[in-house]
Amino acid sequence: MFRRKRRTTEDFAEEIRAHLALEAEELQREGKPRQEAERVARATFGNSTLAQERFRLRHRAVWLENLLQDVRYGVRMMARNRSFTAVAILTLAIGIGVCTTAFSWIDAVLLQPLSGVAEPNRLVTLETVTPGGEWVPNSYPDFMDFRDHLKLFDGIAVTRPVAFSVGKEDHAERVWGELVSGNFFAVLGVKPELGRVFLPAEYGDKPGAFPLAVVSDRYWRSHLGADPGVVGRTIRINQHELTVIGVVPPNFHGSIPVTAFDLWVPYMQQPILNGVQQWMLRDRHNRNMLGIARLKPGVTLEQANAELDTLARRMAVANADVSADMTATLLPLWKSPHGPQGLLVGPLRILMGVCLLVLLIVCANVANLLLARATVREKEFSTRLALGAGRTRLIRQLLTESLLLALAGAILGVAAMPWMSRSLELLMPPGELSLVLFLNTRLNLHVLIFTVGLCLLAALVAGIVPAVQVSRMDLTARLNDGGRSGAAGRSRHRLRSALVASEVALALVALVGAGLFAEGFRETLRMDPGFDPNHVLLSQFYLNTGGYTLQQRKEFCRRLAERMEAVPSVTSVAYSDGVPLGFEPSWWEELRIDGYAPGLNENMNIFRNVVSPGYLDLMHVPLVEGRNFTDADTEATQPVMIVNESFVRRFYAGRNPIGGRIHGWGSWFRVVGVAKDSKYHYLGESPVPYFYVDFRQLYREDESLAFYVRTKRDPDAILPLLRANVRAIDPNVNVFDAVPLKEFIGASLYPQKVAASLMTVLGTVAVVLAAIGLYGVMAYSVAQRTQEIGVRMALGAKPGQVLRMVVRQGLVLTVVGLAAGVLLALGLARSVSAVSFTNSGMGASAKLLGSSASEPWIYLGAAAFLCLVAVLAAYLPARRAAATNPMQALRME
Amino acid sequence: MPTQKDENERIALLQGTLDLLILKTLLFGACHGQGIARAIQRQSEEAFFVDHGSLYLALQRLEESGLISAEWGVSENNRKARFYTLTTKGRAQLVAKTDQWKRLTRAMGLILDPQE
Repeated sequence: MFRRKRRTTEDFAEEIRAHLALEAEELQREGKPRQEAERVARATFGNSTLAQERFRLRHRAVWLENLLQDVRYGVRMMARNRSFTAVAILTLAIGIGVCTTAFSWIDAVLLQPLSGVAEPNRLVTLETVTPGGEWVPNSYPDFMDFRDHLKLFDGIAVTRPVAFSVGKEDHAERVWGELVSGNFFAVLGVKPELGRVFLPAEYGDKPGAFPLAVVSDRYWRSHLGADPGVVGRTIRINQHELTVIGVVPPNFHGSIPVTAFDLWVPYMQQPILNGVQQWMLRDRHNRNMLGIARLKPGVTLEQANAELDTLARRMAVANADVSADMTATLLPLWKSPHGPQGLLVGPLRILMGVCLLVLLIVCANVANLLLARATVREKEFSTRLALGAGRTRLIRQLLTESLLLALAGAILGVAAMPWMSRSLELLMPPGELSLVLFLNTRLNLHVLIFTVGLCLLAALVAGIVPAVQVSRMDLTARLNDGGRSGAAGRSRHRLRSALVASEVALALVALVGAGLFAEGFRETLRMDPGFDPNHVLLSQFYLNTGGYTLQQRKEFCRRLAERMEAVPSVTSVAYSDGVPLGFEPSWWEELRIDGYAPGLNENMNIFRNVVSPGYLDLMHVPLVEGRNFTDADTEATQPVMIVNESFVRRFYAGRNPIGGRIHGWGSWFRVVGVAKDSKYHYLGESPVPYFYVDFRQLYREDESLAFYVRTKRDPDAILPLLRANVRAIDPNVNVFDAVPLKEFIGASLYPQKVAASLMTVLGTVAVVLAAIGLYGVMAYSVAQRTQEIGVRMALGAKPGQVLRMVVRQGLVLTVVGLAAGVLLALGLARSVSAVSFTNSGMGASAKLLGSSASEPWIYLGAAAFLCLVAVLAAYLPARRAAATNPMQALRME
Repeated sequence: MPTQKDENERIALLQGTLDLLILKTLLFGACHGQGIARAIQRQSEEAFFVDHGSLYLALQRLEESGLISAEWGVSENNRKARFYTLTTKGRAQLVAKTDQWKRLTRAMGLILDPQE
């Protein structure tokens, strides 16, 4: 064997020269003068340079030319069948658009939760774990132990999101920021854009030593005039002058995913800024710091977790009075239950799943359409094959066409992304942090790559079936009998049947999903929280940031309550530290109970709330025994406590709790009442021991202030009055959040609510798409069989029989699809119901699908509905077919 | 005397047919490019006009797929020219394609002109 020598360009040029000479000679022989002959020869040849160019590029050129031809041809075919093209492109746009939008959110929330930090993949969240398995924040002394004793880490930092009030009293403005340990920026790896960040010396634990602040690029531009000389200037934060030492780069927004903070202040400024007493910083009970750690390069999460666990267990023994049986754990950033991102993770996963379902249905629809079209174009294909076009060429042509469709759909879908993304903002979790939500969902490289991949996938999935069909086409048979061959028809029929069945199956999954999630949500709504959130306006005050002392805060509450109680439509007023079912970790106190001997290592940290005397009445939480707090309970009298029923069950089995002595906060309390159990952290929680202490006796500097007004009217209507009264007491208090309590506690329903609404919207889209597809295919296959139906009728079949036959065949397919769909839906529901979602800052998890996961009526209802759709989809074309004049049908034969 | 017909009387060659025509022309013996172009035009009574650029690309394609072979030789009027010959594979292809084409035209004829 010898290798064929490749021709050189020179050789080819030589051939062309020979051609021109030969042609000229021949023309001369035909009687043309020599010069004229040469000219004509050149002219007839056309552009010889171009020919040589094409020769040189012939492999590439042929490929490119073919592609261009395919594209041109595809565009022509698309333009000729406008309605087909429009339907296909629009469905693809929906499928690709929703998937891309969902992915852009997932990308922003899960894949790159923190921007502007160095090597984010080495950063992890550090959570303390209670003996009950709940995740809770860390205390500052715990942080110091972690920081000083762990070897496998490049640093551990703690942070606490807070609202600061910035500016002078009369025009203070609330700005969200973080109180951070001094090593915060070093651990995150953030370099300043201007000035500096906190220095190693400032990493110390000495309270009040460094009145410094770092500001965000955004705040620097909006409030400090982007002044390059800002470093060294002071700004007034919580009525104290702090020196700005630096500005961080624009892409850094803080340590909580999806949130944008503007100020960073050393945590050790707490005593000065918020009047927090210094012993509280050293109190291990005071768990208000979120931990973030950087692993050393090459250290795995498991190794680091093992080291942390060992240390935490040692700490639990050393500080057994506070942390008995507590451990700690590391989580990937996206698993952190704190902040809005913790709430978003679950819903986003569902969103992605639903979007993929929609995309599958879209692909099935488009595949069906393409298949139908391929049948129409059979003659065209056979002609092309006969003229020598290769089968691969035809397959390529078809795939090019489906790719063109997918591309157009993708462009349309991506163009619609901003709107879809905006509608997704309804997904954003409620609560005070929504003020600082920040989501970078702009089109980036990740998302673009994802979309292109999706586009190729859709084109392939939708285009492969018709393409395979063409490649199997039997040319001779086609040419000879004009496309009525039985064998090929049957295989295509099988394919189409499979597609119809799979569309039914997918639609069933969508419908069942929508039903299950909606039912799960309704189930959660039916749960009794144990208190009555209706007609209550909740407002949260940040008085300490305005320079209020503890006494002034108490006085403010008392005066505001007096004024509000005087408003005619107001029935009651109360205030407290914690808000039930709010998206905030609950506080606890370690108790010693007279007459109860705790077991070895029994954890005696019990959740509590600090409430005003009117609180339980306002919430409609009944007392089952004893009395409520009264105005007679003051700082000067014996501290009192109200416990709940679960508390009594656990610690007072068979004894009378009233009058019992309980030790906490360093003094002895007397139990004066027993309140009915209610829900405190999330709706699905099981009864927990809980207790209330009196606001006047126990309210402290670091506690929050929630103010409740119950009215006969719409709670929103009372807001202007509240505002006016606040201003009357102190015109400087102009920053507080007010929202109906019913809305506020919606956070605990959030994942279920989002899942239900997403499934309802996208499930409807899916069902509509599937119904369109179903109808289209049925109509088409009946139209294809017009001749056959004509023959049947000519042979004596009654229109009714034809009708029944067509509908029956449609139903058979539907039933097959439904059976497959039920199996699929059952499997999916089982795996989804095993997943639980974080819906409180406690890191505790609630099931998304409660007992409703196998609710039979949902499956039955969905199946019945789809049967109806299928019967309708088969009936309409069947009626048309039955009305066919047999003679006409036969004449077409 | 015209060697080219009026633009609009000419029929553009259908894609894929040029290959078939080249093979057919070579059935009668080796020929160079210019000869092939002339032959096709003459045989079709000047109905087909071969774009020479495409012709040489087609020749190239056929040579590369082994349906024809080529070597330099000397023309009847003593010019150096590249001569193309049909290979065995090319001959077989010609038979198969001709058969297909005939059936196609018959089918087209039946549809376009059923009385015939």
